[in-house]
Amino acid sequence: MQQSNRLWRKGVVAVIAGAVVLTLGACASSSNDAGATASASSKAPLVIGASISLTGDFADSGKAVKRGYDLWAAEVNAKGGVLGRKVTMKLVDDASSPTQVVSNYQNLINRDKVDLVFGPFSSLLTVPASQVAKRYSYAFLEPAGGGPKVFAQKLDNLFFVQPAPVVKSGDVFADWILSLPADKRPKTAAYTELDDPFAQPIAENIRTRFEAAGIKTVYQQVYPAETQDFSAIMAKVVAANPDVLVGGTQNEDAYAQVKTLVQLKFSPKFMFLSNGANSPLEFPTKVGPQNTAGIMSAGDWFPGSTAAGSAGFEAAYIKANGGTADTIDNSSAEAFATGQLIEAVAAKTGKIDNATIITSLHQGEWPTVLGNLSWGADGAPSGSFNLIQWQNGKLVPVFPAATAKATPVYPKPNWGG
Amino acid sequence: MHALIQGVILGILTGGVYALMASGQTLIFGIMKVVNLAQGAMVIMAAYLSYQLFTTFGMDPFLAIPITTLLMFGLGVGVELLFLRPLRREDKSELSLLVTFAIALLIEGVLSVTWGTTYRSINTTYANSSWTLWGYQITVVRFWAFVLSLVALGLLFWLLNRTRFGRAVRATVQNPESARLLGVEAQWVSALGFGLGAATAAAAGSIYGLLYPFTPGSHYDLISRLLSIVVLGGLGSVGGAVIAAVIVSTSSAIVAATISPAWSEMTFFVILILVLLIRPQGLFGSVNRGAI
Amino acid sequence: MRLPSALRGGVFVALLVSMPMLGLQHWFLNLLVFVLMYATMSSAWNLVGGFAGYPSLGHAAFFGIGAYTLALFFKDQVLATGYEPFLLLPVVGLVGALIGWPIALISMRTRADVFAIVTITFLFVVQTLAFNLHDLTGGSQGAALPIPPFAAGQYELPFYYVMVALLLFTMGLTFATMRSKVGLSLVSIRADEDKARGVGVRVIGVKVLAFSVSVGITAMVGAVWAYYESFIYPQFAVDPLITIAMVLMTFLGGRGTLWGPVLGAVILESGQQVLTYQLGAVQLYLIVYALLFLVIILLLPRGILPTIEDRLRQRRRSRRTEAPAAVWPEDPAIPSKADTVTTRGGGAA
Repeated sequence: MQQSNRLWRKGVVAVIAGAVVLTLGACASSSNDAGATASASSKAPLVIGASISLTGDFADSGKAVKRGYDLWAAEVNAKGGVLGRKVTMKLVDDASSPTQVVSNYQNLINRDKVDLVFGPFSSLLTVPASQVAKRYSYAFLEPAGGGPKVFAQKLDNLFFVQPAPVVKSGDVFADWILSLPADKRPKTAAYTELDDPFAQPIAENIRTRFEAAGIKTVYQQVYPAETQDFSAIMAKVVAANPDVLVGGTQNEDAYAQVKTLVQLKFSPKFMFLSNGANSPLEFPTKVGPQNTAGIMSAGDWFPGSTAAGSAGFEAAYIKANGGTADTIDNSSAEAFATGQLIEAVAAKTGKIDNATIITSLHQGEWPTVLGNLSWGADGAPSGSFNLIQWQNGKLVPVFPAATAKATPVYPKPNWGG
Repeated sequence: MHALIQGVILGILTGGVYALMASGQTLIFGIMKVVNLAQGAMVIMAAYLSYQLFTTFGMDPFLAIPITTLLMFGLGVGVELLFLRPLRREDKSELSLLVTFAIALLIEGVLSVTWGTTYRSINTTYANSSWTLWGYQITVVRFWAFVLSLVALGLLFWLLNRTRFGRAVRATVQNPESARLLGVEAQWVSALGFGLGAATAAAAGSIYGLLYPFTPGSHYDLISRLLSIVVLGGLGSVGGAVIAAVIVSTSSAIVAATISPAWSEMTFFVILILVLLIRPQGLFGSVNRGAI
Repeated sequence: MRLPSALRGGVFVALLVSMPMLGLQHWFLNLLVFVLMYATMSSAWNLVGGFAGYPSLGHAAFFGIGAYTLALFFKDQVLATGYEPFLLLPVVGLVGALIGWPIALISMRTRADVFAIVTITFLFVVQTLAFNLHDLTGGSQGAALPIPPFAAGQYELPFYYVMVALLLFTMGLTFATMRSKVGLSLVSIRADEDKARGVGVRVIGVKVLAFSVSVGITAMVGAVWAYYESFIYPQFAVDPLITIAMVLMTFLGGRGTLWGPVLGAVILESGQQVLTYQLGAVQLYLIVYALLFLVIILLLPRGILPTIEDRLRQRRRSRRTEAPAAVWPEDPAIPSKADTVTTRGGGAA
């Protein structure tokens, strides 16, 4: 009995000690904080916090987002900062975990008392993080959380920095198909959909519109994320012989589907992949450059775009990170656009606090490298994406006509040429 | 019907690779009574090694197998000596699970840091080619993977049945005390046995990298499949593991082809539960009290 | 004897209850909520993995089950007071326990190895089901929980207090178990299951009971977590990393002890959150976890608290010889010479 008593005593002491240490740490760091308050003099730096996935499952895109944020901060500081205040980005890692992302935004907002926050990488992390921002009335501009659930929250402080909700990236393909004369349109369609918050809604959106227009669905299959072997699925696609194949995909499954179709020697007349086919470097590497011709996808930013600040962004990115315009990940462009919005609000209103940002962005159009952006009350942007197609080994925008650099090629050329 | 047979073909071809992985796992259990939860991670590690050899030297993964096998053999022996041997006998069965789990995590962490988390795959020139036999499609890669798995398994069988080391291993599996009485150095057998298990993972890993895209986290899926396979085959029985691998793989592929790909993942769990309910020792496991 | 330990328990409770009144900032309360979650889960895991010696590697499945059960109950509902989900927690716990019961029955009939295999596989099955059963779980699109209508200023408090209650409940349960026949049965099973069966311990019944209670509690924590996050996805609600954390914390603090898991959770969870926030740049945390795990298993196999206890015992023994005292057998693998175990009703361990 003596032993167990002593044991418990030790345990309690340890727990209490731990709690005391934590509390001391809490007080110490908050008193050490040199956090700028929102109403500081114009010389105090503008601290913008964001939680990014630098490790974990979303890490590669997270790093692209970081490059975009850092690039914008460097560019705007070279021009004198925002309203005379130097921009400091405080970027922290959430290890692609929703638990950590909640803690990160709590820490950024309440402990480090940053002036503004930008959003994390994916819809999966955006939803919990946006709730934290909402509680403390911070504007939440986020370049990468555009799934339907994000907007279903109906938060007035949230702004998705892309031309349209992700689910609409299929719409531009449907728009184009339905704009073709009736005899040139596909009559039958197959849908292969990744079970994922982005990919599946995109394909389903297209399917609804196609079925309403009389394009018959001859095959539809949702497959789980771990699917590695597409032979069974694609064999059924081949058996159904559709005119158009609509793939609601991310990257890996898009590559696998194309490779399998090549092996099965089947080439549909029209082919759309919501993701995967829009990566300028990876796609030809993974499926073979001779197999890309004619495949379509959707995108927001593309090299050579004439949108506001795009040329400067391209040049600056290449200078800072090397490579060519084709190696620039869209996520970097989207992150850059997020910063541009802050600059624009400051320039237009002369103020840069959260309330001003929220009211300003809900009105009018705002120019960015992604085009002119505007938002509805729930944070969903009201624009549209570009339809892009592989032609001669390059990705070019082909629709709508206003931003097109080439005419769409159809039917899709056969594999290997 | 066509889809069904295509599924069976696919299952058998894939089963070869899983048989190779599972044979190492069940061997380790047979010798040391340790469930190696790091087997999946070792497979993935070998896949990354092959990937690196392929991208840096252009070495075909099949040719890289001897290299990765030797490397992983050394790793396996090292792991056993460093982490498993020091465990006290009483705690061994409980702690060895956690130790091998920790090793799996360590491998995953190191792989993430070294290669990042994007999916990789080994894209040889023949990666997309396939043959068609009587209307059924057989991919070149899968076929050679199957052949190679058979060769490797054949080597393993030869090793176990025709060499002194193999005899020592089998003796230890059957009865460790008697084996020791007869002069078999149990410590050596354990270390080399673990190394052998790791080596089979290496061979399988090079093949795996050709067939599927992988990321450091892929080992979780793998290990759950492998565990079901070895339980079905009977913990400790290499032959059982091979047969079980083909059964599980084929059932999974049939479910994917006929019902839906989403449910094929569940197949191995269903099989596991059925085995535990009907015949807990698996197909060829022994019915020792407390052994299963 | 009883009084001092009750006093210590009382100090702990008073400390926990009064923490928020210290005017702590939101981010710190947020951290505490997560620490308490892991402390509770580790204590729950301890019942099965620590006392019974059956290392379950699939507890996270029940975490997810609890999360999704709550999401299902409150689908598309608007909350009046915001306390409704908390009132439903016992039901969630029961659901978890009921699902755990047959799993335990099937997998605990045999040895610990098979048990671990079944629990890991079960984890992946639950994750697959969470993805595939769209109508129930929302699949990969995730499931939304109603937003708690708590004021921003006191948002974390209800969660904090609920977690304190859960932790105290779990610790109380552990304490009661340690002093009861069930507890002794568990320990005897861990020492030598066949012998335990031989002397008449209801081996299967006790194991299954421990498992069901353990996963029931884990399910309740999962439900609170889901409510706190407001949105859950299959790969996060059913995540092997949660199990790893629980196991590591229990091992660090000391399996089979009352305070061990709590100590492990305090150290590891706050450490991990702080480190990720301050340093985060590399995937090191997985490596750190793994290395820490290996170091603990090899050097401190019984965890911090039992090792401290051993040192004290050794020091005291070297000072004078002591009359044998009845000690709670922490780890039967290392019996100390002077200890004997008093049992309540028949049968020596």
